[in-house]
Amino acid sequence: MEGNLVPIVTVPEIATVVEIRDEIDEVKTFYFHFDRLEIEQAFKIRSGQFIMCTVFGAGEFAVSLPFSPENDRKHISVRRVGKVTAALHQLQPGDKIGVRGPFGNGFPFEEIKGRNIIYVAGGIGLIPLRSSIVHVLQHRPEFGRVILVYGARSSKDLMYKESIREWKATENFETYFTIDRPEPDWTGEVGFVNQLVAKLLLPADNTVAFVCGPPVMFNSVIKELKLKGIKEDKIYSTLERHMKCGIGKCQHCAIGRTLVCVDGPVYTYKQIKTLGEQI
Amino acid sequence: MYWLERHQLDNLVKKLTESYELFGPRRDKVSNEVIFDRLANPLELDLEAPIPYNPPKYILFPHYEEILRYRYDRQSKQVAIEKLSHLKPKALVGLRSCDLTGILCLDRFFLGQEFVDEVYLEHRKKLFLISNTCVRPFPQCFCVCTDSGPSAKEGFDLDLTRVGDRYLVEVGSKKGQNLVEELGLKEAGEEAAELKKKVVDESVSSFDAFALENKAWISRATNRLTTGFIKPEVWEYIGNQCFECGACSFVCPTCSCFNVEDVNRLDGTTDRIRTWDSCSFEGYTKMAGDHNPRKPVEDRRNKRFFCKLSYSQSKKYLRPGCVGCGRCARVCPGDIGLPNVVTYIRREITGD
Amino acid sequence: MPYERAVCNFCGTGCGHLLQVEEGRVRGVYPLPGHPLSQGRLCVRGWHIHELLQTEERITSAFIRENGELRLVLLEQAISYTAERFRKLGGEEVAFLASPRASNEDNYLFGKFARAVVKSNNLSLSSDAGQEESAKVLLAGGGWPAATGSLSKLKQADFILVAGGDLTKQNPIIASEIHRARRAGALVVTVSPRKTQMARLSQVHLRPVPGTFSLVFEGLTRILYEEKKFQADYLEKCTENFEAFFKKLEQVDLGEVVARTGLSLEILTEVARKFYESKLTYAFYPTGVQSLDRKTMSALFNLMLFAGKLGQGAGGIIPVTGISNLLGSYDLGLSPVFLPGYLDASEEKNVKKLEELWQTPLSRKPGQSVSACLAENKSLRALVVVDHDEEIIRNVNRIKELELVVYFGAYHNNFASLAQVIIPRPSYAEAEGTYTNAERRVQLNRKKVDPPSEVRPLWKNLTELARALGHDWKYHTAEEIFSEIAKVVPQYSGLTYAQLDSHLGLKWPCDEKHPQGTDYLMLDEAGNKFRFVLDENVRPQPQALAEQKADFPFKLTVGRSNYFWHQNSLMKRTFIPKREYNALLLLYPKGFVEISEEDARRLQLREKQLVRIISESAEMILAVRISPDVLPGQLYVPYFIEDMIPEFLLRQVAELEKNEEFFLPVRLEKAG
Repeated sequence: MEGNLVPIVTVPEIATVVEIRDEIDEVKTFYFHFDRLEIEQAFKIRSGQFIMCTVFGAGEFAVSLPFSPENDRKHISVRRVGKVTAALHQLQPGDKIGVRGPFGNGFPFEEIKGRNIIYVAGGIGLIPLRSSIVHVLQHRPEFGRVILVYGARSSKDLMYKESIREWKATENFETYFTIDRPEPDWTGEVGFVNQLVAKLLLPADNTVAFVCGPPVMFNSVIKELKLKGIKEDKIYSTLERHMKCGIGKCQHCAIGRTLVCVDGPVYTYKQIKTLGEQI
Repeated sequence: MYWLERHQLDNLVKKLTESYELFGPRRDKVSNEVIFDRLANPLELDLEAPIPYNPPKYILFPHYEEILRYRYDRQSKQVAIEKLSHLKPKALVGLRSCDLTGILCLDRFFLGQEFVDEVYLEHRKKLFLISNTCVRPFPQCFCVCTDSGPSAKEGFDLDLTRVGDRYLVEVGSKKGQNLVEELGLKEAGEEAAELKKKVVDESVSSFDAFALENKAWISRATNRLTTGFIKPEVWEYIGNQCFECGACSFVCPTCSCFNVEDVNRLDGTTDRIRTWDSCSFEGYTKMAGDHNPRKPVEDRRNKRFFCKLSYSQSKKYLRPGCVGCGRCARVCPGDIGLPNVVTYIRREITGD
Repeated sequence: MPYERAVCNFCGTGCGHLLQVEEGRVRGVYPLPGHPLSQGRLCVRGWHIHELLQTEERITSAFIRENGELRLVLLEQAISYTAERFRKLGGEEVAFLASPRASNEDNYLFGKFARAVVKSNNLSLSSDAGQEESAKVLLAGGGWPAATGSLSKLKQADFILVAGGDLTKQNPIIASEIHRARRAGALVVTVSPRKTQMARLSQVHLRPVPGTFSLVFEGLTRILYEEKKFQADYLEKCTENFEAFFKKLEQVDLGEVVARTGLSLEILTEVARKFYESKLTYAFYPTGVQSLDRKTMSALFNLMLFAGKLGQGAGGIIPVTGISNLLGSYDLGLSPVFLPGYLDASEEKNVKKLEELWQTPLSRKPGQSVSACLAENKSLRALVVVDHDEEIIRNVNRIKELELVVYFGAYHNNFASLAQVIIPRPSYAEAEGTYTNAERRVQLNRKKVDPPSEVRPLWKNLTELARALGHDWKYHTAEEIFSEIAKVVPQYSGLTYAQLDSHLGLKWPCDEKHPQGTDYLMLDEAGNKFRFVLDENVRPQPQALAEQKADFPFKLTVGRSNYFWHQNSLMKRTFIPKREYNALLLLYPKGFVEISEEDARRLQLREKQLVRIISESAEMILAVRISPDVLPGQLYVPYFIEDMIPEFLLRQVAELEKNEEFFLPVRLEKAG
């Protein structure tokens, strides 16, 4: 991979929103490119990193990056939860946003080559995992088995339906989808993600898992993965915290001795366990 | 080292005011309290005054400051962003060693980690720092426990120590050396170091018993905090006394948590401001939506004391995060300034 | 010197602070260490007042409403327009709603404008009746209408009784003083149904059933009486009506006290004995929302008097004002019942005296409070308001019917949106003025920064308005007004700006007899006689009569917290206090009701589950918040602002605001 551009630290770079898609209820995806060509070309990320996004006139928020480091359109997927994200949802194509970053450590990539990879996502937990999934699929031959287990409350709540369609058709990519309750046209599984994980025959040796989702789902999935013999230091997740600076100064995201914005947001479950706070 | 005679002090100050805004301790006439303030009138500088109630932190890390200003025209889709800078050179005269240590902590934190904080750097660039040895400690002080006084060891341009009715001047930088030469200060002989040591030793021995006793206890408390072996009841006792005012963070020379907000102005521009913040507030870790990973107040207190005393946090400052100034104890509406917390932990250890 | 001395303008504590002034703006705040009361402490609100003082969300020019739209006008136009409208109104057709946050100078002229220019006695603060009731009780008892004890001596106290509210949230620095006294050895006894932080910081927490506070104090007095723990000679010498009070005491049935308050005789006896034995004794109660009712204040006063705790030293009763200048506002007679200096407005000689001082005839028609006017007075046509917003919520329809609403304010809010005339006001840092805190300390705030160009002090605009209405007012400075106040208000007669400038406030009465002010009330100030307040005519609380009905088994009470309280129009313009407020709003966007763990278990309720709260007349839906702070059988709803107050409460808020004693019988059902 190319050497990373020094992240944009203080003054946001201006970017144009070129397309907006309704993803699921309250979640939209915003495709953007940087106005300055040199930034557009030099802006390199690792899967699992995040940016600080400015909605002009409203404020700034941290958001994880769902696009692949290579050959993927730049975009963010954002749930409307507060004042700033609500303002973002008001934007139209052509509007400007500000970007600082990319920040954070990101998922391992080189280190996990040759291994089996299990992605487990719940709801909008797929957002931070998408980047890594696409990236790994772009380098498919360099990995062992690649498995995705994704669940949501209902079929309406599944993120990235277009990507899912592609993934279902991708060879050597084992995908499983589940929703909480039966629906007429649903052909996938029914039940919680952890129940589906429990049912599946998953590799344990030479395997890493990436897990993202709401706390209840997260904890129950970890339990199942451990039962399957996957080590705690081979399970990765990303933490979301309130952030103001992204560069390890404001301390809003401090958990014990770690700062999620610079030491994270990707942690192994083994690390998360020692942090002593709720995920 | 050099000698600065009393009458030369005026020259020193005059010289500084030619190129710097002057900051130093002054007394408020009505309340008689000492404030580290910008001095419009150099005569207000009072080097004999007790430790100021406020640390000089606000000069480098203001309570409220605009860091960016932007204007977005949604019609034309034009954005103009301007970085705001604050380039006035400032001279901080009469810094107590605890406060100088505080600045060094902030330096290491804002400048020495993975990222450099450009806003802080702007403030820090053009400072002239003159420290002032505490020849007698003040009742709240315990810098002897935190290795930050009563005399400054590093980080100053010049360091003053009152000996009789003049000052011994130690030079800490090229800038300081230049000023000493410009003022034509007389070199002090070899006895200077001995003289200074005597003053400092006397000062150390006159610390309050609580400070001297606490010396060992602070490191034991640090140990406990780092390993997490402190009973939840101790934190609950501390939490009950927390009024959630944030004062301990605001008055701490090393606390540097901040909040960032975008403020729309009437002229159509938006200021990005940053303001002091405190981990003792519930909303501090609150995320948009509905999730607060850190809820009960004792949990949030816990975070601050951990930050001040634990080993892992000390690594960032290359020393403990507490500089022993005792201000948190004075401003606390409860009774949970850091020295008291150490006492509570101590009581837990000894079972008193 | 960017750090300049000033007085915080949020709550009635009146803490000293240093405002960091740079280039004409307040950039920061720091506690003033030498302040006699706050001694270098501030609460979360005080630590962020600079955020409020910097906001650009201000009213910076005058407006007149035309065809429904506000039109920007020059100040002079707004004043002549207002004068024109006033000429067509009769005095009693206008009501005046004053601000307990405005300076004494502004408030004095506001009252004078109402009484002397418009000839209206319909003049009041918001509906917080607690302060007025408290003043009446203390006056009836023969003391001062405000704090009889000295907060400066609190650290030497050995017994502190805190009744109602949660001072740690309402007046945190006063609560901090109580906490300090406790650490110095005082026994702190809190009386409150909820387990507030104040209660957690007390050695003894009495949790009476809501609605039985007065019984607690009557019970304590009765125990002292039975145990002969009183000094007959003191009572004989120093009180006028102890025999009548003894008769009343004999009717108190301790069995009934125990049965109705839910407190054991043992704990009451223990508290009564410790109380009696204490040397320096204080009683605190808040006077805003969550104030006590009159009957309870009287019972508490009588308890203190009976045990010999009044007029003999620094101890005494401290009614704690929730807003910066609430006490000053009453001192200056912003009430239908008091003229400046607490002179009875219904006494002809007092009105005559004021006519002489003011050189103008005054109306004899008894005034009403603004809320009473809005509720009952059909002939009301106009309303003049200073810096309010919550008040409007419950009378919005009546206010819309008025011909004229004039709003003097610094911030846009609900009142501004209904006003026909808006006239901007400066912030406290932009004008000179004095403020009187809960301990009677009159403090002078000097102007720190210039207001926006079209903004002038309220007193100045009132002066112009009075002149336009044919009164030859000649005030040029706030100081001139203060000198007039010193002539009109006996308690302030010895105060001057020069003197206030060289002190960190002086406590009234400051007069010939007490040139340096007065720390606490001694017996001779009270004319050497106190009186037990018997209050035979006080209307009993409705629920004190009616037994709780089985259909409505829960007692619902309301209260406030750190960040909300009545200053939301202010808090909303800060960042950190607003965030703290929003933090709770985000957790419970529709508001919450606190319920005990026991009741939650019994009713199988989960945290945040929606429940329907049903009273005899209405219902509302709120989220459950399971809390260790409330007792089984009780519910607690935070009373914040409209965002969190459902219609349900609004309709009853006037009742709810009256006092801590009040509760609403309700039942609770799962919703949906």
